[in-house]
This record gives sequence, C-alpha cells and structure tokens, in this order.
Amino acid sequence: MTAEVTPRALPRHITPHRLTWLAAGLFVLVLSVLLALRMGARPVSWGDIWQSLVAYDPDAPDQFVIWQIRLPRVVGALLCGGSLGVAGTLMQALTRNPLADPGLLGVNAGAALGVVLCTIALGISDPAQFIWAALGGAALASGLVFTLGGNAPSRTGRLILAGAAVSALFYALIRGLLLVSRSSLEVYRVWVLGGFDNVTLDMVSTLLPFLIVGLLLAFVAGFSLNALQLGESTAQGLGVRVGLLQLLTGAAIVILCGTTVAMAGPIAFVGLIVPHLARATAPADIRWLSLYSAVYGALLMGLADILARSALFSGHMQAGVMSAILGGPVLIWLVRSKGVRAL
Amino acid sequence: MTYTLRLGTLSLQLARRNLLVGLGLMLLVLTGGLAALHMGSFPVGAADLWTALRGDMEDITRMILLDHRLPRVLVAVGAGAAFGLSGAIFQSMLRNPMASPDVIGFNAGASCGAVLAILLFGSVRFVLPWALAGGLLTAALVLVLAWDRRRGTGLDPYRLILVGIGASLTLGATSDLLMSMTDEQRAADMAQWLTGTLNARNLTDAALIWGGLLLLTPVLLWLQFPLSRLTMNDDIVQGFGLRLAGLRLVITCIGVLLAALAVSVAGPLPFVAFVAGPVARRLLGTGAPVLAAAALVGALVTLGADTAARLVPVVQLPAGVFTAVIGAPVLMWLLVAQFRKGAL
Repeated sequence: MTAEVTPRALPRHITPHRLTWLAAGLFVLVLSVLLALRMGARPVSWGDIWQSLVAYDPDAPDQFVIWQIRLPRVVGALLCGGSLGVAGTLMQALTRNPLADPGLLGVNAGAALGVVLCTIALGISDPAQFIWAALGGAALASGLVFTLGGNAPSRTGRLILAGAAVSALFYALIRGLLLVSRSSLEVYRVWVLGGFDNVTLDMVSTLLPFLIVGLLLAFVAGFSLNALQLGESTAQGLGVRVGLLQLLTGAAIVILCGTTVAMAGPIAFVGLIVPHLARATAPADIRWLSLYSAVYGALLMGLADILARSALFSGHMQAGVMSAILGGPVLIWLVRSKGVRAL
Repeated sequence: MTYTLRLGTLSLQLARRNLLVGLGLMLLVLTGGLAALHMGSFPVGAADLWTALRGDMEDITRMILLDHRLPRVLVAVGAGAAFGLSGAIFQSMLRNPMASPDVIGFNAGASCGAVLAILLFGSVRFVLPWALAGGLLTAALVLVLAWDRRRGTGLDPYRLILVGIGASLTLGATSDLLMSMTDEQRAADMAQWLTGTLNARNLTDAALIWGGLLLLTPVLLWLQFPLSRLTMNDDIVQGFGLRLAGLRLVITCIGVLLAALAVSVAGPLPFVAFVAGPVARRLLGTGAPVLAAAALVGALVTLGADTAARLVPVVQLPAGVFTAVIGAPVLMWLLVAQFRKGAL
C-alpha cells in the first residue's frame, strides 16, 4: 500500500489564495472565542468581557465568571486543539502515514496511564508533577508502537494495529488500577471523556512552557521533515540526519500529546482529521502545514467545546468524547472514498 | 520427523514437534485445571478431588467443587480456546500477527451493548443478549462497510482493519460517554463487565461454550485447509481456484461466532485472542495457521489468569486484569522477535 503524503504537484510557497484560508481560520477562531466567553448559564455583556480582559476586577461577579471559569476553558481548548493538530501533522509526516493520530497510535493511552497512575493511584493532584508521568507514558507508548509497527510507508495497517494493541493494553491496565477503589472510578469516568471543565489558569500557566517547548521542537524539525517525505534514503542523501530528526520529531509529538492529556484527558481524532484539512488548503511544506494545523485544530476544539457546552447535551457531553464519536464515521468515510491504496 | 496415521483412504501427517507441543500443552491445561480445582479459600485436598470425581462426597465439598470451581474452570478453558481460535483465524486471514477479533469491532460493539443494557435496566441481568446483539451488529456493519464491490477479493485486509478501527473508536467513545452518565453502582458494574470476569459461572455457561465449540469443531477442521492457502498472495489464492471473496466472508463469520461464544461466557477478556496465535506459532516453529495449538494456548492463558485472579486476597479482581498483564510481555516479545528477524 502506498501512503505517500506530500509528493504531488502542490506549490510549496504561500499564495494569496492560501493565505485567505489561514486568515479566515483565524477570524472564525476569534469569533468562537468571543462566543465561548459570552455563552453560558450566567448572561454577561460584551462590555463585561472587554472590561475583564483589559482591567480585571475580581469583585465583579460577571468578570469573575469570565476570567476564572470561561477564559481558562477556552484557552485550554485552543491550546489542546492546536497542539494536537501540530502533533498529528508531525506524526503523519514522520510515519508518512495519513492515518497517524495520537489517539489511534496509542500515545494518548500511554499518557493516560501515566496520569491515572499518578493522580488516582498515588493521589498527586499537582499538574506540575503528574505531567512528567504523562510524558513518560506517552514516550513509552510511542516507542512501543513505532518499533512494533515499523515506520515504512508500506505498513499503514501494521502501524495502526500496533497502535490498537498498545492502546488496548494501556487501557486494560488503567481499568485494572481503577478496580482497586471505587472512588477512583468516579474521577476517571469523567476525566476520560476529555473535557475542559477542570482547566484552571494555574494549570495553563504550569503546562504552557511544555507546549512551547514542544512547538519549538516541531518548528526545528519542520526544516528537515520536508526532505523526509521523499523517503529515508533520499533524505539521507540530502544531508538530513534521519535518526536525529526522528528523535526530535518524536520528542515534539510526545511532549505535545502528553501535555494535552495532562490538561484535558485523552482526545482522539483531532490529530487525525486536522492535518487532512490543512493539506487541502495549505502549501505542501511541513512548517506551513503545522501552522495551518495549529489554527484549524484550535478552531475545531473550540467549536467542539462550545457545542458540548450548549443546551443540546444538557451538560453530559465533552469535547473530546464528541470528537471521538464523530471521528469513527469520518475515518471510515476517508477509507471508503479514497480507497485504502490511495491513502 | 513425522508420523503418518492412516484410516482407510484418509491419512494424517503429524510432525513430532507438533505432537510433543500439543501433548505438552494439553498436559499443562489439565494440570492447571486440577490445580485450579484444588486451590481456594476452602481447602480441597487431592484425595477429595478423586472421591468427588467418583461421586460420593460430603455436601459442602461437593457443592464447592461441582457448583463453583468446576464450572469456572470449564468456562475458562472453553472461552480461552474460543478466543485463541478466533484470534488465530483473524491473524491468518489478515496475514498480520497483531490482528484479533477486535479489528472487526466485535468487542467494542459488545461492550457498548452491555453498557447500554446496564444503563437501561440498572442491573447485569440482560447484559448478555444486548452484548451479543451489539457485537454481532457491529461486526455485520463493519463487514458491509469494508466490502469492496469493485475488486474480486471482497474483503481487503487493510480496508477491514481500518473500518473496524473506525467503528471501535466511535463505539468505545460512546461506551465512555454512557458510563459517565450513570450512577456509581452501575458504573462499577459496567467497569467490571468491560474488564472481563469469570466470577460466579455455572454449569449452563460451561454447557453453552463447550456445546458451541463441539458444534464448530468439524468446521474448524475443514478451515485449516483454506486458511493455510490464504496466507499466500491474493493472486496465488485465486490461482488455486479458491473463491477469495466468499471464503473470506465465511472465515470472518466463523471468527466472529467464536468471539461471540467466548464473550458471552467470559466478557471481553483482553489480549487472549491476541497472544494465542503468535505464541502457538512460535512454539511450533511455523508460519502456517495453528488452530489447535492456538486454542490450547488461549485456554492455558485464560485459566492461568483466572486462577491468579482468584488467588488475590480481599478484592475480587476480574480475570481481564491478568490477561492484560500477560499480554504486555508477549507484546514486548513480538517486538524483540521482529528486531531479531531484521524486519524493522
């Protein structure tokens, strides 16, 4: 099966037409943030939103709601969505496999095991501490999956199966941990849905440095990842140190996904679909693709969170689980419409 | 070295290694079964086992042996064998050592059905029919969606895997969502069922799984032949004159049926179907489909996991936790084996 992602007649440089897509994405993103700040059980005015952003007054209840409840939630959703979009792009570029996704390839499951081990079994509640467990779990899982599945493009099915096996293993271990105490199950069954209810500004400020490091690594790796799209030996011929590049990209993926899981729980599918959207509109350059993916991912997650919060689901829905439920049909549609060979 | 059994016009060739491995595995399953009957909080000595088998025994020992331990051991062996067979069938058909009935979404569908039943009825009473309906429905849906009309091969392995994973993603998330919407007691019931447990099995369960296995035995004996052809390239298989599309459909249905049998008595025990095939193939040193050995390995793993779960004091851990713990080293070992082969 061929799974080449980029080699096609797309311009590598930016054009006004493509820039329009990015600008439109950013514009809708800003609109969705404003909508997310405005929407909710407590009605607030545009003036309150403006006031709380410019001159925050903790004694005004409206401003308190915006600054302490709605803003962290929006920021969390945007950061997670953007990070997952970039991580998905990197994964698909690294494996030259258009179905690579942190959820499908078990990276989220590894990070989730780390978080569950720390927060539930050991009772650590400080994100600054359990982030390391999340990163360790994510690194372990991705190491397992990539060695088991091989990263040759001819092995789409094998990589995905390896991801499924590793995910199944980690989720089974998580279930085992949970069975020991019932109170931990109570925490877990809400957390696993992948929502932004519990994101606080403290948590964001603790985890933000990790995301920045991950994005910087992604940016550095982006310079050589383009060459890797032509195949490992060609990339080597072009002077790329393939081993180092794989390590760098892998580290970026692990940091981005692990931090996302620590912040909001395991979120599948965003990393799968966003790079496809980006490829349809962005120049065929990994750095541009990553930028577009970050914007689209943030937008998708922001909208998903708004939808999940809306009265439609009466508080039961979360952005992460909703994207996973919708993700299955989209994946099947991708497979059926493009045909596996063309993927 | 091979032995040849002849019976009229039929003959069967047995390699010595296969014979030894088969007998060894059988012996292990038998010993494990006896040990499982012997172990537990109520002591039953070896002498008691013998008298119980002959039929005269005091009431309490007899009750513990025949009503509690024996059904559980029988169900563990039967369900393990069914899982192992199902996994080996899918692995051979999809030509992939990492395949299992999960790829067709059966487990995810069954789990979703079970969670829905617990959510709707509040108890585990109607779990079984709902789980089976969910699993079979999902499998049918995945088959329909993965079926490729344009090419003559019907079920393309990759397409089947990807569609199955897509279905599993959606159904798994749906189960998570349903689980978060209910109260604490029901959520605990759901978690217990989703892990796969052999607690409190009775002789009806044992009869169900063993009856199903017996009915399927002739089919499985026949299956060995087309399955070993299917490990070859599609073109070669069609060159043999086998009808690939129909054959793949029949084999998938048998695999799903076996998984359904096993899940209906033991829940979705993780990893048994996954580990049985690779371990059996390695024991026999062959790449050909190894149904009988995979069944024995599956039985051994499940029996071991359940006995281990029973030996943990205080908490009643489900067997599924232990099959996952067994699955981890096997996954590692597959990894190392692939390194050695230079396949990476």
